Amino acid sequence: MRKKINWGRGLGITALVVYGIFILFPIYWTVNTSFKEIGDVYKVPPSFIPTRFILDAYRFIFQGTGRVALFNSLVVAAVSTAIAVVLGTMASYAYSRYPFTPLTNEGAQFNLLTVRMFPPIAFLLPIFWMWKRFGLLDTYFALIITYTAFNLPLAVWLLKGFMDALPRSIEEASYVDGYSFWQTVRRVVLPLIGSGLAATVALCWIFIWNEFIIAYLLGGRNVILYTAYLPSLRRGMRIMWNQIAALSVLAIIPSIIILVLFRKYLVKIYLRG
Amino acid sequence: MFGKESKRIPKTPYYLMIPPQLLIWVVVIFPLLWAIYISFHDWNPTISPERTFVGLQNYINVFRDERFIGALLRMLYYSGVGVTIQLVLGTAIALALVEYVRSERLRTFLLVLFLLPMMMAEAVAAQMWTLLITDTGTINNILIWLGLNPIGWRSRELALTTIMIVDIWQWTALPLLIAYAARISIPESLYESSRLDGASKWLILRKITLPYMRVPLAIAFLLRFMDSYKFLDKVFIMTYGGPGTATELPTFYLYQTAFSYFKVGYGAAMSWIFGIIAVVGMFIFWRLAKAQ
Repeated sequence: MRKKINWGRGLGITALVVYGIFILFPIYWTVNTSFKEIGDVYKVPPSFIPTRFILDAYRFIFQGTGRVALFNSLVVAAVSTAIAVVLGTMASYAYSRYPFTPLTNEGAQFNLLTVRMFPPIAFLLPIFWMWKRFGLLDTYFALIITYTAFNLPLAVWLLKGFMDALPRSIEEASYVDGYSFWQTVRRVVLPLIGSGLAATVALCWIFIWNEFIIAYLLGGRNVILYTAYLPSLRRGMRIMWNQIAALSVLAIIPSIIILVLFRKYLVKIYLRG
Repeated sequence: MFGKESKRIPKTPYYLMIPPQLLIWVVVIFPLLWAIYISFHDWNPTISPERTFVGLQNYINVFRDERFIGALLRMLYYSGVGVTIQLVLGTAIALALVEYVRSERLRTFLLVLFLLPMMMAEAVAAQMWTLLITDTGTINNILIWLGLNPIGWRSRELALTTIMIVDIWQWTALPLLIAYAARISIPESLYESSRLDGASKWLILRKITLPYMRVPLAIAFLLRFMDSYKFLDKVFIMTYGGPGTATELPTFYLYQTAFSYFKVGYGAAMSWIFGIIAVVGMFIFWRLAKAQ
């Protein structure tokens, strides 16, 4: 008996393969370019597989401003995430457990979310002038505080979901056992939402790591983050594509790690809507 | 003891809310209020430190500004078409992934690969693609090598569409993820019983899968639409609004007004109009989420 050709299946798998190539090609090409000498970048026909691994571009990034910029991004994102998650835990606990006071009712929660929905560039005009007035432009402080405020709604929104999923009876039992409020939070609530907390930290961190326009406008000279440093590599007579590619490859590595570690949470977070 | 308990409860949320509120007030609300004040003035600090009171003139000018209107129309094309493609493509890929990839491992691997663009910086994605699409870039090199004509990806006619393609490359992942999550939450028994009833695949897709995914997909559309309204990284890096104003989206025009021309009062008025549009969109989103 002849087997019927399954057109739907064939089409579906072709679509997956084509889409996979579409997604992979720019990433592959960036890795490929980062190992080339600048003279080879523009060659026709292009070389698809690097024959020799030339590390000049990476050496340049690690010896110059690139290293400083990556380090700054790392520090700013880490400190700001830490503050945002601590404040976010406080706010989300209040939102989740006491949703009836003027500061924590639905209206207040909505107001916090509007901070997230306002386009950052619309905030940046007054924030820029505020930091300028205080003489704090181009400092770690201004960048960290600004990022914290921008990430707080995200942290609250994610954490509130994890808090809501935690039954109140557990906390009540811990009060009955004689734990104080802080003991309950520290020893019962936080350990129970531990993995959710970790996912929140990862997501907040990656958002700051990836952010561009705040880094570009509020930093740039003293405190340069890698996203703000990237465009400056394109100035000059000859665009050093291999260096840009090398910095891009380095910048993607944390994204890959976080994505692989927290892939299950991403699905969960979006399942909740 | 219980007396103490009942007194403690109403105070705790206030203590908890003070530090987060303080931060939001200092960094967000106070500057925004200042922006209202400055939006009633004409102030260009590069010309003179003097601020002249102009009333509502800035707001009126925004709506008369052809560049602003042009940017809004461009946004409608860029976001409307771009996000629709992201949604359709993302849903199709997610369904194909669930339907045709049996191996759990392979499916997870593909999902991670497909989500990767979403997790990296807009700025990095834009740089990676710029390497591909400049006139002497990789795609044109390959076209020449194949004996075809190179394409002016950053020409006046094509530039906005090129950025849209990069946006599709990066953000199809989000509707894909949401569609994937929605699809695997549909109980498998529904599919089995309809297969027993002899329903065709097309009918199952239309009558079961898509109705179930309607609300998550609507949310995905709004989320993406709002985001593409918010970001300017790709325009900034790939074309800097050009050639001419061919890729000038509202965010980028706002950036130009506020930080290149330093028309601060005018920029503040534009910021507010801009923000209010976003909040209205957000409100619709909130209602939709509630309805779910």
